[in-house]
Amino acid sequence: MKNVTHSFVFLAHWPFAGSFGLNTDILATNLINLTVVVGVLIFFGKGVLKDLLDNRKQRILSTIRNSEELRRGTLEQLEKARIRLQKVELEADEYRMNGYSEIEREKENLINATSISLEQLEKSKNETLYFEKQRAMNQVRQRVFQQAVQGALGTLNSCLNTELHFRTIRANIGILGAIEWKR
Amino acid sequence: MNITPCSIKTLKGLYDISGVEVGQHFYWQIGGFQIHAQVLITSWVVITILLGSVIIAVRNPQTIPTDGQNFFEYVLEFIRDLSKTQIGEEYGPWVPFIGTMFLFIFVSNWSGALLPWKIIELPHGELAAPTNDINTTVALALLTSAAYFYAGLSKKGLSYFEKYIKPTPILLPINILEDFTKPLSLSFRLFGNILADELVVVVLVSLVPLVVPIPVMFLGLFTSGIQALIFATLAAAYIGESMEGHH
Repeated sequence: MKNVTHSFVFLAHWPFAGSFGLNTDILATNLINLTVVVGVLIFFGKGVLKDLLDNRKQRILSTIRNSEELRRGTLEQLEKARIRLQKVELEADEYRMNGYSEIEREKENLINATSISLEQLEKSKNETLYFEKQRAMNQVRQRVFQQAVQGALGTLNSCLNTELHFRTIRANIGILGAIEWKR
Repeated sequence: MNITPCSIKTLKGLYDISGVEVGQHFYWQIGGFQIHAQVLITSWVVITILLGSVIIAVRNPQTIPTDGQNFFEYVLEFIRDLSKTQIGEEYGPWVPFIGTMFLFIFVSNWSGALLPWKIIELPHGELAAPTNDINTTVALALLTSAAYFYAGLSKKGLSYFEKYIKPTPILLPINILEDFTKPLSLSFRLFGNILADELVVVVLVSLVPLVVPIPVMFLGLFTSGIQALIFATLAAAYIGESMEGHH
């Protein structure tokens, strides 16, 4: 170590390029004190630092463990929910199928009932038609017969003169006589 | 000189035991600038320590952190808590800055207190913590200034400058002055504390080489840590302050 007098002496001409060297004076380099200080620092500081860091590590570990547990719990819940969802879906499918078959059956029933009533209606319609036709035919027949009888009466009335009258009577008598004779 | 060789010799012998060096630097000339090389060297060592340990610790990240990773995650958590309490909701982008400040200053301070720098002899000056030099702390403080200006401007645009006339325009000079006192206080606080720590240790060592400096060294460790924390906290607080008051 250079001293103050030296620096005053050399103040006028500082050596800009000098030489590096090792100072081997143990007292001047303060080595012993430094060693003691570093030793004490390590001795006490190590414990404190170790505690601090261990605490931190434990905190991190517990945080990680907590989150792991949370994650596991959540996963379990998710699994449960998924199973429930599956079950519910199955039930829903079942219900849907049941509903469909019910509806089908209902439809068939309805169709059957409707077709039956439809047939009955058809039958009654046919019968009605038949009766109406029959009645109309009867009426037409009656009318035609009446007209024919009237026509015949008219013809008879217009054409029946005395000679024809006699001839007819004779013919009838002849027929009656033949019947009597046969007996 | 008016001193006899004999007395010079005695004095030299005395000073060999009790020599204290202040304001001595090992200069490098880089592009017309005089560089304090001992600060550069120790900074590189600090940077190497930080980068190396980080790379080793997070080379193989695990879900359940191993020891090194656990430690560094703890440190990161600490820094994030710090920036969150100081900056507020939008602390995310500033964690790297605050963390860099804190870790660099902390490791620098502790390297000055724990590493036997004096084993290596320089041509001139001696190795010590990088924060032992005012240039380092001023650089860090100016970075902080730039950071909080950037934070405020990027958050609020030009309306950032409205804060200078709040609550009343009378306070304008004081508010402007604050922008200068902030880096000043930051840099001098850190520089003074670390320099004082190391000086006390060096003086005590030169007086009583053994045992007596040890409590002071522990005090120095404590102060160093506190100073790093204060610097990081204040930097975060300044950033938070320049970003607040906007929705």
